Amino acid sequence: MSKQYLQTHTNPTAHPTDIFALATTPSHLLSASGSSSILIHRTTNPPTTDPSDPSEDNPYPLIQTLHNAHPLGCHHLATSLDGSIAASAGFGGEVKLWRCDAEGTWSHSHNLAQAASNKTSPAPWALALSPTGDLLACTTHSGHINLYPTTTTTAETPQTPTTSFETQGSLGLSVDISPDGALTASGHANGSVYIFNNRTQTLAHSLSSLLKPVRTVRFSPGGTLLAAAGDAGIIALYSVTSGQQVASLAPPAAGAIAGREKKTTGAAGGWVMSVDYSASGEWLVSGAFDGKVRVWGVGSGQCVAVLAGPEEECVWGVKWAGGTPGQKGGEVFITGGRGGLGFYREAGPLAVIREREGERERERERERERGN
Amino acid sequence: MDEGDFDDLFGGGGSSAGSSSESLTTAAANSMLRESHDISVLADCRPSLHTGYPIASKPPTQCSSPTVKTVEAGDALLQQAHQRPCAKSKASPSEALGSNDDNVQQGVSVIQRIERVFERIADDLQSDAKDIGLTLRVRARPSTSQQLVSGEGACEVKTKHVCFPGKTAAEAWRFAVVVRILELMHTTLRTGVVISKRDIYYRDPALFGSQSAVDRYVDDVAFTFGVPRSALNVAAVAKGLVVGAINFCRRDGSIVNAATDKDGLLVPSLKEVLSVNMKAVKWIVVIEKEASFRAIAGSRFWDRLCTEGVLITGKGYPDIATRAMLRFLSTPSPRNSFAAPPVYGLADFDPDGLAILSVYAHGSVALAHESAELRVPQLKWLGLKGRHMGLGSDSTHASQGLLTLTARDRSKAQKMLAQRESPADPGDTEVRRELQIMLMLNVKAELQLLDAIPDGLATLLQGALSSLGSKQEN
Repeated sequence: MSKQYLQTHTNPTAHPTDIFALATTPSHLLSASGSSSILIHRTTNPPTTDPSDPSEDNPYPLIQTLHNAHPLGCHHLATSLDGSIAASAGFGGEVKLWRCDAEGTWSHSHNLAQAASNKTSPAPWALALSPTGDLLACTTHSGHINLYPTTTTTAETPQTPTTSFETQGSLGLSVDISPDGALTASGHANGSVYIFNNRTQTLAHSLSSLLKPVRTVRFSPGGTLLAAAGDAGIIALYSVTSGQQVASLAPPAAGAIAGREKKTTGAAGGWVMSVDYSASGEWLVSGAFDGKVRVWGVGSGQCVAVLAGPEEECVWGVKWAGGTPGQKGGEVFITGGRGGLGFYREAGPLAVIREREGERERERERERERGN
Repeated sequence: MDEGDFDDLFGGGGSSAGSSSESLTTAAANSMLRESHDISVLADCRPSLHTGYPIASKPPTQCSSPTVKTVEAGDALLQQAHQRPCAKSKASPSEALGSNDDNVQQGVSVIQRIERVFERIADDLQSDAKDIGLTLRVRARPSTSQQLVSGEGACEVKTKHVCFPGKTAAEAWRFAVVVRILELMHTTLRTGVVISKRDIYYRDPALFGSQSAVDRYVDDVAFTFGVPRSALNVAAVAKGLVVGAINFCRRDGSIVNAATDKDGLLVPSLKEVLSVNMKAVKWIVVIEKEASFRAIAGSRFWDRLCTEGVLITGKGYPDIATRAMLRFLSTPSPRNSFAAPPVYGLADFDPDGLAILSVYAHGSVALAHESAELRVPQLKWLGLKGRHMGLGSDSTHASQGLLTLTARDRSKAQKMLAQRESPADPGDTEVRRELQIMLMLNVKAELQLLDAIPDGLATLLQGALSSLGSKQEN
C-alpha cells in the first residue's frame, strides 16, 4: 500500500537560516531557526472564508513574529496540546515561556530563570510541555530530565525543578510528555531511552537501547506507544505499559530499490531527526538528515510514502498540523529545515490526476525549451 | 639637548613620584591615542645621549618600598609638566610589512626607543631613584562576549607598570624579563639578524622559565611600541608548511621551488623573500592539519597541485609567519606579481577547526592589534561542514570517524556563537550556522573522515575547484 502526498505550499524564505524546530497548536504553527525570531503561521482558515480572499494564495499566512526571542538562535520549541502555552530554548542556554491569549496573539510570559552557570543545573537542551501546559520538561547536557511548573511567574528567582530524573550522564537529545501528563520519555546521545513516572518520580522503564543517538521520542496520541528514532536509522515503537519494543520501522533495504537509495542511506543519511504522530495515531511522519520525509502506517509498520526534501538538505522537524481529520488543515504535515517550510497533504484521486497532468505539462514545456 | 632636560631629569629623579609618574601619565595619555600608535610609553621623551648603556641589574643602593600606582587613563592629577613632545616616528603596521625601506627606517627608530628606555633606567640608578620602572601597554584579555570586530584595535588597552626591585619577587622577575628581551631586540636590530621567539627563550631559559612567558612579553613590547613584531626582528619559529606551483626568490638570490618536495617547505619568513613567482597559481588551499596536508600531497591530486595550486598549513592554530605568507600570496602586490588567487579552507568539523579558519580569515583576538595585515577575509570555507556528515555512505569506517561532542566542545561552540551574536560579514554568518548545526547534531568529525572514502579529500577538493573553473569561464 502506498499513499500519495502533495506539497501544497512551500515557504523557502520563512526564516533566513535553518529551521531547527517546529511546534503546532490547533490553529497555529510555530517555527524557530538559527536566527533570533520565532514565527507564527496560521494553519486553519478563519470561519468566514471567502474563496476570492487573496489569502487563498497563501493558505498558511504569517500572523505574528516574536522578534529577538533568542539572540543566538533557537533550537527547540514545545507547545501544550490546547495551544495556550509554548516554550522555546535558545543556543545561549535560555528557556522562554510564551502564552497565547483568546485572540490568538502570543506574548512573552517569563523566562525559566536558571541559577546561571550553576554546575548543578546545566543548560537545558530539549523541551516538552504537558498537554495542559502546567509542566515543562527539559533535558540537560548532563543527562538529567528536569520538570518545572510553568505557573510560577516570579521570573527573577532561580527555579529549582520539582522533579529531576538522573540518567547515565549522556546528553538528553529528545524528550516528550505523555498525553495524560503522567509519563515523561527521554532519548539520549548514547542511545538510551527512558520512561519516567511523573507522579511517583521513579523510572518506569529503561527501554532497549538503540545504541546510537536518539534524536526524537514521541508518545502516540492514545498514550499506548512510544516512538523513538535517531542515528540508528530505524523508528522503534515501544509499548508504554510493558516497556517492550513492539515494532521497528525501517526503510526498505538499500538493495530492494535497485541501488537507487544506496547513495543517500547509510552513515548520516538515514539519521532520523524528528517523528510525529498524526492526530488519529494512524500515521507517523519522519524527517531525516538526508532530506527524506517518510510517512509510515503505524499498524502495518510499512512506509507508505517517501518524499525527497529540496536538495537533500536536512529536515530538522516534522509536525502534523493541528485540527481534526477531514477539515481543511487536518491531515496536513509540515516540514522544516534548510529548505524552509513545506506543507504536505494527502492527495485525493482527483489531486493525483491533476498533479500528473501538471507533471506532463511541465515535461512538455521542458521539451519545448530543449527544442528551442 | 637643552639644559631644561637636565633640570627635569634631576628634579624628577629626586622626588619619589618623579620618574614613574611621568611615564604613567604618558601612558595614560597614550591609551587614549591608540590609533596614532604613539610610542612614548616605553621610550620616554628625552633625546638620546648615548647608545648601548650597560644593563646593570644591580639593585639600587637603598631598597625602599616601591610605590606602585594604579592610574586611570586621563587622570588629571598626574598631568604634570614633565610631558615633552616626543619623537613621533609613527609607523602604521601596514607600512611595516610592506616594503623593506620602511623596515629599515622603523628599525632605527625602534633602536632609539629601546636605547631611551635603558638610558632612563641608568639615569634612575644614578640618581638613586627609589624605584626603577617601565610601563608596558598590554592588551586586556577580551571578554567572551566581545566580538572579533574587523578593523583596528579590537581589544582594550591597559597599562602595566613593572618596577625593580618591586613589591614581590615576581615583579622583579617581570622587570628582568622585559629588560632582557629589550636587550636581545636591541642586538637583533643593530646586527640586522632576525631572531625567533624560541631563540630568545634559549638565550636564558633559567630566567624566562617558559616559552609562553617569552611570547607574551615579546608581544607586549611590540604592542607598546606600536609596531608589528617583525619590526623588532623577532619571528616565530617557522611552523607552517607550503607546497605547490610557486618559486620563492630569496634575498640572497637563491630561488626555492615549492613543487619539488612532497614533504613541503617550511614557510619562509617574509623578510627573507624578495618576491614570489605565482604565474601558474590558480588557487590556494589552507588546511588545518599536517596529516591532511601530507595526505593530499601524497594523493593523485599531487599532479594538479604542483602545476596550478598552493597548499599551505599552519599545523593547527597558525603562527604569524604562516598567516603573513598566506596574506602575501593572496593579496596583490608587486612582490607576488599582483596575483589574487582564490583561497579555500579545509578544517575539522569541530569548534577548534572553525576557530582556526576564523583566525586565518579574520585574525586572532590575542593579536588583534596587528591582525589587519594578516587577515585573508576572502577565504572560502570548503569543509568540513555539517552536510559532510552524510559523506561516506555505507561505510562503517566513515561513521566511526564521527565523534560525539564533549562538554568542552559544546561550551566552546556556545562561546563562539555568542561572539557572533550579530554577524557583520557573510563569513561569520556561515560559521554561526555551522556551529548551530554542530550543536544540534551533537557530532564532530576530523578531516580524516574523508580518508575512509577512497581519495575523499582529493575528490572534495577537485569538486570545489572544478566549480571554480566553470565560474571563471562564465
